[in-house]
Order: sequence, then structure tokens, then C-alpha cells
Amino acid sequence: MQLKKPIGASLAAATCGLLGALPAAPAAAQDAKDWDIESSLLYYGEDNDRVKDVSLDVAIRRALDEDRSFSINLTVDSLTGATPNGAVPTNDVQVFTGASGGKGYIVEPGEVPLDPTFLDTRIAASANWQQGLGEASRWNVGVSVSDEYDYFHAGANARFEHDFNLRITTAYLGIAYGQDDIKPVGGAPIGLTPMVALMDNGGGADEEPGDNDGYRDGGTSLSKDVTDLLVGVTQILSRRSLLELSYSYGKSDGYLTEPYKLLSVVDPVTGIPVPGPDGAPFLYLYEKRPDQRTKQSVFAEWRHAFDRDSMAVNFRYMTDDWDVTSETAEVRYRWNINERSYLEPHLRYYTQTAAEFYRTVLFADERLPRFASADYRLADLDAYTVGAKYGHLTDHGEFTVRLEYYQQDSNPSPGSAVGELANHELILPMSAAILQFGYRFKF
Amino acid sequence: MKRKLIAILALLAAAAGCTTVQPWERDLHARADMQPDQQDSAIDDHIYFSKEASSGGRGFAGGGCGCN
Repeated sequence: MQLKKPIGASLAAATCGLLGALPAAPAAAQDAKDWDIESSLLYYGEDNDRVKDVSLDVAIRRALDEDRSFSINLTVDSLTGATPNGAVPTNDVQVFTGASGGKGYIVEPGEVPLDPTFLDTRIAASANWQQGLGEASRWNVGVSVSDEYDYFHAGANARFEHDFNLRITTAYLGIAYGQDDIKPVGGAPIGLTPMVALMDNGGGADEEPGDNDGYRDGGTSLSKDVTDLLVGVTQILSRRSLLELSYSYGKSDGYLTEPYKLLSVVDPVTGIPVPGPDGAPFLYLYEKRPDQRTKQSVFAEWRHAFDRDSMAVNFRYMTDDWDVTSETAEVRYRWNINERSYLEPHLRYYTQTAAEFYRTVLFADERLPRFASADYRLADLDAYTVGAKYGHLTDHGEFTVRLEYYQQDSNPSPGSAVGELANHELILPMSAAILQFGYRFKF
Repeated sequence: MKRKLIAILALLAAAAGCTTVQPWERDLHARADMQPDQQDSAIDDHIYFSKEASSGGRGFAGGGCGCN
């Protein structure tokens, strides 16, 4: 995912500039600086040896004059750890083909299958240009790219902002387009076909056209296009309060399937996975999602300044044509301890319904559905985040440290816990720690 | 949901009509702590995009990672 600038933030910054920002802190109290550098080092770690990410992010902003500025953002992510492959636990050992077709892995009885071969480095860069257009309008254009071992993204975005009503109201309109190329390791599996039992038969460079092993040709690159539209308004409600409202529409077309995710096919009475082809002990199918998705969301944020402190509350409602509906609520309270230090507690709650094709398991006696995925992220799930950020301003810049705890609980699809599956936890709850250090300075 | 949205828009329109915050009265809005943190927002969006089935809202819905 590219790290795009939130429009609200840019708007607020622009509004601030237009109003003639009043310095509120030592670092900001210096004369206006041309360069603004913001860096952060992030650690994200899930429990049970699941995904870990160390990420370095640097944003460079340069104001050329009152009307024109540009920014560049660079991110490097290093990802390791294990991730659920979609299959369910059994009373026996399970053996899976690795993503590369060469490295398999074994899962002990009773354990939720995790694919431990997850390892990637992601590099992302984006650049934006902002320019005034008359006294009350601004436009902003940007490009972005990101690259992973099996994934490449390129995108462009543009937005236009206009102030009304003595700048009490600002409306904005944005559009973004992205094209992603996906090149799964070993070739992309054909959805809802059996996982190949032989560990060295999973496509790859030696793939021959016409091989009947459940894989597309190893060299095939798949793609998807993502188009987003955003329209919103920021309204000053009073000397202390501001409300931002936005509506966004996003459409994805192309390969939206997770190539490394599986589904177990189980006996509808015993809950034991049925045997696979070619003598494989169990049958696993590769997942398959529709090749189109349309999302719509509304977002509202209210910000309020107290004499010393401030707070922000936001809410998002999202719905899509995969039947996922979600609600997100967040609150931040900024406690300005003194002129140089602040503490900002943060709470977030998230809930979503399952995608219509989400299935924790498939049953051997049913007709194969058109689409199916056991990816826990498409399940009925609730999540919350609790954390705080501490910031300290010096004469040269601002240090911040942020610590957060994220907890996620997913529910299996109704009727999944048949036979022996009733004795197992079908989806592991997940918790993660987020630790972020930041330093920002201007010169 | 449509009703909620219309109600919010109506409230906003009403608020816009009766707001008389003069430009010189906006010192609190200009305070640094009243501006959203762009970098934190981008990082959070990336994390939650990777772990949940939703995206977008504050900014573009995004995409561009093969997040597992």
C-alpha cells in the first residue's frame, strides 16, 4: 500500500498556512524554515511468531514560496514471520507445499496452520507537488511506486481544494489511480484447484505450458487496477471546533486473490479433511476471489481545541460489494503537559462483517462455490487498539515515541465447527505491539 | 446510512450558515496540535489495510502492497 497523504492533513496544513500559523511551541516558534524533515522508525510485531515488520520512513517537504511546495516520501519495510495459510487444524500432522514450490512446511496436530516462509522487503517512494491557484484554491498532484519481491505498484493522484465563505469552509475533490503487478512466487495457482502435493511441482521456471499441476505458467504476471475518488469538506464550526466530512469510492479490477492462501475441504460429519489427489493425505484448495471490488465509505472527524489540550474523534463507515461492512471509531486526546512535552492517548475500535464468500472450511459433499476464501481478514472480526504517544520539543526539533497494542478476534463462518473441528480453535486471535520512534526537524 | 449522511450534511450546512468565526479568531485552529499527524496516519493506514478488510476514509482507499 502506498503511503498517501491524508487530504485532511494537507488541508489543515494549507489552512494553517493561509491563516498565518501562530507558533505554539519552541520548535515551531523559530523563523519559517524551508525544509521540513520527518522521520520514523517503526516496529510492528504480532504474537505467536507471526508477522514482524521493521519500517523506516522519511518524509521531506520543501516550501518554495507561499504558494508552491513539494514533498518526497521514502519507506523501507522489512517483513518476516508466519501468517495463517487458511487451512484448519486437524488431529494429525499436516504438510504444506511452500509458496516457492520447493520449501514445504509441517504443522503439528491441533495447531492452526501458519506459513512460516513469509519474508519480504518492500521499498516505496512517493512525490507530491502542491501549488496555489488564485487566492482560494490549490491543487496537488503526486506519483507513487512500491516494489516487493512479488509485487509492484505504480500510481498517480491529484486533488483540488477550494475555500469558501471567508475560508470557513474548504471543499476538496481527489482522484487516484494505481496499477499493481503481482508475480506470485512459483506462479499463480488457479483458484479452487487442489494444492499440489509434490513439493517440487509447483510451477516456477521449469513450468511447461499445459502442465496439469494446478498452476498457471510460472512467468505469468497478473495485475489489478485501483481507482479511487474522494470528495469532502472541512468546516470550521466555532473558534474551537472543526468538522471534516468525506465520501470515498474505490474500485479494484483484476487479480484480487491471495495466491498463497488455502482452504481445507473437510468431511461434513467428522470435520476431518478429506484425502487429496495423488495420495496426498488431505485436500486443500487454493482460494479464489471475485476479480472486481467496489468500496464506498464515509468519514467524519471532529477536532476541538481546549485552552491547553485538544482532542480529535473520528468515525468511518465502509461498505463494499463483497458484503463487507465495517465501522471504525477513534479518539485521541492531546494533553499538552507543558510548552515542550505532550502525551496523547489513543483508542480505536473496529468491527467488520464477513465477505459473502468467506468460508472457514469447505465441505466435501457440497458443490464447489464460485468464490471462496478462508483468509481471516475477510471473516467477521472485531479489533481494538489502545496506546499513547509522547512528544518532546527541543530547540532543534521534535522527538516522539508511540506505543500501541492491537488486538483482533475473528469468528469462523457459521456451521464450521463440525466433528473434530469443534475441539480446535479455528482462527487464532491476534495481538500486536506497535512501537514507533520519530524525529522531526526543520532547517 | 443514507439518512445518517443526509442528517450530518444538513447539520453541517446549518452550521456553515450560522458560523461567524472571523479570520483573526482562528488562532486555536492554527495550533500545531490541531493538525492531524500525516506520517502517523499513513503508517496506521498501512497497518490496518494489511490486517483488516477496509481502507480509505480519511484519504484514498489505497492499495499497492501484497500484504500477508
